[in-house]
Amino acid sequence: MNEVLAGRALAKRFGQTVALGGVDIAVRAGEAVAIMGPSGSGKSTLLHCLAGIMKPDSGEVHLLGQRIDAMGERQRSALRRTRFGFVFQFGQLLPELPAEENVALPLMLGGVARLQAVRQAREWFGPLGLQGMETRRPGELSGGQAQRVAIARALVTKPAVVFADEPTGALDQNTGHDTMRLLVQATKHNDASLIVVTHDPNVAAACDRTVEVRDGHILALRGAHG
Amino acid sequence: MKTTLALSWRLLRGGGRRGMLGTWLTFGAVAISTALLLFAVSANFAFDARADRGAWRNPVPAQTGAVAIEAQRNDYVRDRQITVIDLAALPPEKAAAGVAPAGVAPAGVTPAGVAPAGVAPAGVAPAGVVPAPPGLPRFPAPGEVWLSPALAALAKELPADQLAGRYPKVAGQIGDEGLVHPNELVAVIGHRPDAAAMTAPRSDDWIVGSPPTKIASFAGVASEEAEAYQVLALIATVLMIVPLLVFGGAAARLTVARRDQRLASLRLIGATPGQVAGMTVAEAVIVALAGALTGAILYGVAVPLLSRIQIGGGVWYLSDLWPSPLVLAATLVAVPLLVGMSAVAGLRRVVVSPLGVAKRETPPGLRFFRVLALIAVLAAVPMLSRSTSVGVIAVVIGLAFLCINLVGPWVVALIGRITAGSARRPARLLAGRRLVDDPRSAWRTVSGVALTGFVAGFLGLLSPSAFSSDPGPAQLRVTVLSGSAQDAVTQAKERLSKAGVQATVKAEKKVVVAALGSTADAGVIDRARTALDGLTPGRTPTTESDDQRFGMQMLADVGAGTVVVLSVSFLVAIASSGITAASSVLDRRQTYALLRLAGTPLSVLDQARRAETLIPLTVMGGGAIAVGAFCAMPFMLGSVSVNGLITLAVCVGLGFGGVIGAGALSRPLLRAVTADPAPRPD
Repeated sequence: MNEVLAGRALAKRFGQTVALGGVDIAVRAGEAVAIMGPSGSGKSTLLHCLAGIMKPDSGEVHLLGQRIDAMGERQRSALRRTRFGFVFQFGQLLPELPAEENVALPLMLGGVARLQAVRQAREWFGPLGLQGMETRRPGELSGGQAQRVAIARALVTKPAVVFADEPTGALDQNTGHDTMRLLVQATKHNDASLIVVTHDPNVAAACDRTVEVRDGHILALRGAHG
Repeated sequence: MKTTLALSWRLLRGGGRRGMLGTWLTFGAVAISTALLLFAVSANFAFDARADRGAWRNPVPAQTGAVAIEAQRNDYVRDRQITVIDLAALPPEKAAAGVAPAGVAPAGVTPAGVAPAGVAPAGVAPAGVVPAPPGLPRFPAPGEVWLSPALAALAKELPADQLAGRYPKVAGQIGDEGLVHPNELVAVIGHRPDAAAMTAPRSDDWIVGSPPTKIASFAGVASEEAEAYQVLALIATVLMIVPLLVFGGAAARLTVARRDQRLASLRLIGATPGQVAGMTVAEAVIVALAGALTGAILYGVAVPLLSRIQIGGGVWYLSDLWPSPLVLAATLVAVPLLVGMSAVAGLRRVVVSPLGVAKRETPPGLRFFRVLALIAVLAAVPMLSRSTSVGVIAVVIGLAFLCINLVGPWVVALIGRITAGSARRPARLLAGRRLVDDPRSAWRTVSGVALTGFVAGFLGLLSPSAFSSDPGPAQLRVTVLSGSAQDAVTQAKERLSKAGVQATVKAEKKVVVAALGSTADAGVIDRARTALDGLTPGRTPTTESDDQRFGMQMLADVGAGTVVVLSVSFLVAIASSGITAASSVLDRRQTYALLRLAGTPLSVLDQARRAETLIPLTVMGGGAIAVGAFCAMPFMLGSVSVNGLITLAVCVGLGFGGVIGAGALSRPLLRAVTADPAPRPD
């Protein structure tokens, strides 16, 4: 079994509120998993725990067999920068930077020289249908275009896992559908796994399997591997 | 209007904790600005009050109806100057005629004031004809001495043969209305009009003073010294007010920065530009008025401390530093008005194009005319000189100052392009792009400190070491009347010997020189001074350093003024920088949080913030220092002093340290906003 990311017995409370009540989840290499659930169900908390953004109160998170929840903030931060990619609903692009520099930034943060980083970044524009958009600023891109730039940025470091939090939440249905299709294709093409938090069944349908979370527990698993 | 006000009030109250933080920052900034503005303005009125109180000692020759003769000279004790006013009342008939030369009153005529009040002996001017000098209950009788409280205290403190011996018949103390400042050493000495002190011609060994002059009243004019201080105060005010206005503007825009998204949304749903502007003005003015009132109270509390600042050899009367009700009212109206106007200017982009803010398009480039404006003003600077009228000087310096502020964003954008173009590391790339994206905001963070560079550059050149700090040999010199030099030498030897002072006395042309030896300390010098007092009527024996005292005092005061102006500027600048840095973190909290969440180290974000501040600060601070120095060149008193350069170096160090420190203060805020694991837009 080529398990990339696994959460075991993950529990997290916020005061009296139980956000996660002992959740087990595993994601395989190249697999796209949707996490669904109503507001306050704990799906975002689950994503944050798996991505090393938040430490669970108990339970363990393993990336390629290495335990990451026990790491210090600095190590987890480096891990997020090098092994994970992120796509959010909005606001993730830096408004001052042109699109190509937004994509190149994670490479530069990893120590790649600027010229090389920008060259590598540009390679993503064609496959994602962004030719000619390289020097535009986020304010000059449509919502769908901005999300595709964000996908390029998430994948440019060749991460093991891409986390997406409501990636189509701010897009119309058609654009959302196209964006989701591109996100799944691009992650698979790069041998990365994808974990998507969403309300939208159409988004979930684009994934290999869906995990439904309610009141901090996984209710059901659906899909090819479920 | 009512709806606008009501909505503004709701926006203000409903801003939540973060919204209220912005409001509090604005409130604090306006309060500090108002307090410092009141200080800058009141300082001018304080110097005016000093000039007015000292004017009676600077006599205006009477055209008709002279009633008295007045002369002024300087005496010295320890390292301090004593202002001595010699007064003699003219007999009524001569006074009325106004023609008699000083000192020709017939013997036996008794001037006014000799007799106790209410008794008018023959030949004495009727009561009321000779007015009492300010601070004295009556005109001093011949031989009578009136001392200022500080001089009276010093006379008691020092041995009589060092000071009190010079002023033997003390009749009382001079009141505050006759003194420039509470520490002033003043002696008013009454004479007969025919006394030698009132008739002997005074010679050219005088640095400051007035020869015997017939006066009709004590309504004199401000002395040149007082006028010099008034000019310096006006320049200092201009230098302080511009950063204050910039600070106030930055504070006002802080409110707008916190609100622009919300107000842009209001525009998008159909609010008219007038309504948006109205709401902004109302909100900014409400906060500014509260801030201005608090600032006025702050200033009131600070007055006792400010009055301890020594200028012109002394501290201040509290009443000098209290602003008049009119000034106070004008400030309380002007500050909220300016803040409101600044807020409207900050909103211009939203009002003109609501999508400009909502979509964050590339901002329009800044025009080159800003640079041309600065060049035009600087071209006028070489035409100035020390003889140019104060108003023109103030306007040109003020304009140069404002033009640096105008050119700042343009230069910041240029630096941003260069920084971004040459960046190899992410922090510099982020900093450079951010500077290009919003050069005005970046300029606001550093403008205060950069403009203080102008002040430092300007004052650095104006504080040269024109006078030697070497006190010179311990010798007293006094000019005597022609032909009496040898007599005076003999008399001086006798007097000094009687006082137990060892000295070598000789005459150098018309000057009697008493060399007191290398071991003479201040006490010996003052004993010798006291012994030689009156050797030549109306003249004071002085040392070399006494003769330089006026210049030294002026330079010391320019130095003290520099410290005050720079302290105010730095306080404003660093507070401004801190507030802007904090508001920048708040404005960009979502971006920062997401970057951090995606693994960007906090140190990179911090480096970017630092570079975003320090790169323009270096360029603009250096540029402002150069422009300030250039503007000061026409007024240079001599070569550039080491002290001036040290002041500059300290300013540069403080500026960088202050801005880095102020930026570091917002680091916990950055950590807090990036620690939010689930950032959502407002």
